[in-house]
Amino acid sequence: MKNIEKIAFQFPTTLAAALRLQANEKTRGKLLAGGTDLMVQWASGVPTPERVTSLWNLPEISAIRVLADHVEIGAGVTHAFLVDCQPLRTHVPALVAAAGTVGAKQIQARGTLGGNVANASPAGDTAPALLVTDGTVVLASQAGEREVSLSQFWTGYRQIAARPDEIIVAFRLPKRGKARERFRKIGTRRAQAISKVMAASRIRVEKGVIVSAAIALGSVAPTPVRLTQVEQFLAGKKLTPALIAEAEKLAQTTVQPIADIRSTAEYRRWASGRLVRDALEHL
Amino acid sequence: MSNVTRTWKLNGKSVTVRAPAGRRLLDVLRDDLGLTGSKESCGEGECGACTVLVDDEPMVSCLIPVGQLPNGTEILTIEGIARKAAGRVIQQAYIECGAVQCGFCIPGMVVSSYALLQRNPKPSTRAIRDALAGNLCRCTGYAKIIQAVKLAATRLAKRTR
Repeated sequence: MKNIEKIAFQFPTTLAAALRLQANEKTRGKLLAGGTDLMVQWASGVPTPERVTSLWNLPEISAIRVLADHVEIGAGVTHAFLVDCQPLRTHVPALVAAAGTVGAKQIQARGTLGGNVANASPAGDTAPALLVTDGTVVLASQAGEREVSLSQFWTGYRQIAARPDEIIVAFRLPKRGKARERFRKIGTRRAQAISKVMAASRIRVEKGVIVSAAIALGSVAPTPVRLTQVEQFLAGKKLTPALIAEAEKLAQTTVQPIADIRSTAEYRRWASGRLVRDALEHL
Repeated sequence: MSNVTRTWKLNGKSVTVRAPAGRRLLDVLRDDLGLTGSKESCGEGECGACTVLVDDEPMVSCLIPVGQLPNGTEILTIEGIARKAAGRVIQQAYIECGAVQCGFCIPGMVVSSYALLQRNPKPSTRAIRDALAGNLCRCTGYAKIIQAVKLAATRLAKRTR
């Protein structure tokens, strides 16, 4: 019998039931949504947990709400659902683009936004796109709900700021308004490739001047990161070719990527700068 | 371990399975139900050889613990698609275009092609490439597979007119 088959699965049908299970150490299970990361890890020999609490198909975390100044996306929403959601294309286009680069159709149909965030891989495709919105993660437990800023949510390599009794239920993301968004992922091929480097940006330009800039990179640090130095450098400046060249250089000097099986530190550093240039050239 | 009992609509027929909740859908299909059309190649969601339709969405059955598929789930495997008129048209197009070499990836390719053509009867080359991007083939180089999907789309359009 395979290890996965020895796991005790729990299938709560409401969020309240799931929170009740997670509140008690004796019934708490490893949270599983679409299984596109965990099932792969367990198949490859990573030790399986004793208990799993399945969040797949939980109605309370599967909706998208478009509100006056922000969108609220349930953690259980799949990448496929995100890609097909027209209003999100208008309000958070970088996130939609990012969701469309996760794996391929088969993976997008199962992988969820909450799962991608909870998995906390520095190469999580949706992470940079979420970061540039300045949005929050909504966490629920039996004690109630709380919001944590996305910029403080990834606390270290594969670590998140959720307590063991908490479940990620939604993301509250301010709409882009008049800002422009862009997402680019560099991998060995367009589908089914984990990124070497990727970038998301949300930049607002008025009369040739950068009013605000949010730029985030993935796969260049232990967590997805915002390029705050570059953002501060750009704010208030006139958008010129010289400025773009300086921003590219600044990005290359501020990132501290590592070399691994997917890419080298040198390439990642160079590509980080090119991605910042790409964002600024498409405003 | 926790066993679950689930009743699905599998290839149009009601089927009840009892299995450990964590057992992969692929193993239930192949080993418990004898539906060996879905292939296992990578076993980690990378290659698409085990693609099936779950409530009309293409998914890799190697990454689905059966407990997560509630009663009433509609599952369509290559065996079910091969019995549908559209499925036969797609298979015939693959044969005529020479889109099959070793054949191991083809059940998954046909399932993904079927899912695409159900949703988008006149797909562009880009749409075909996108739809099949999660199905890897080490033999053909894909060109003839894309041709086959186009041929199938043309023939299916004629039938429904």
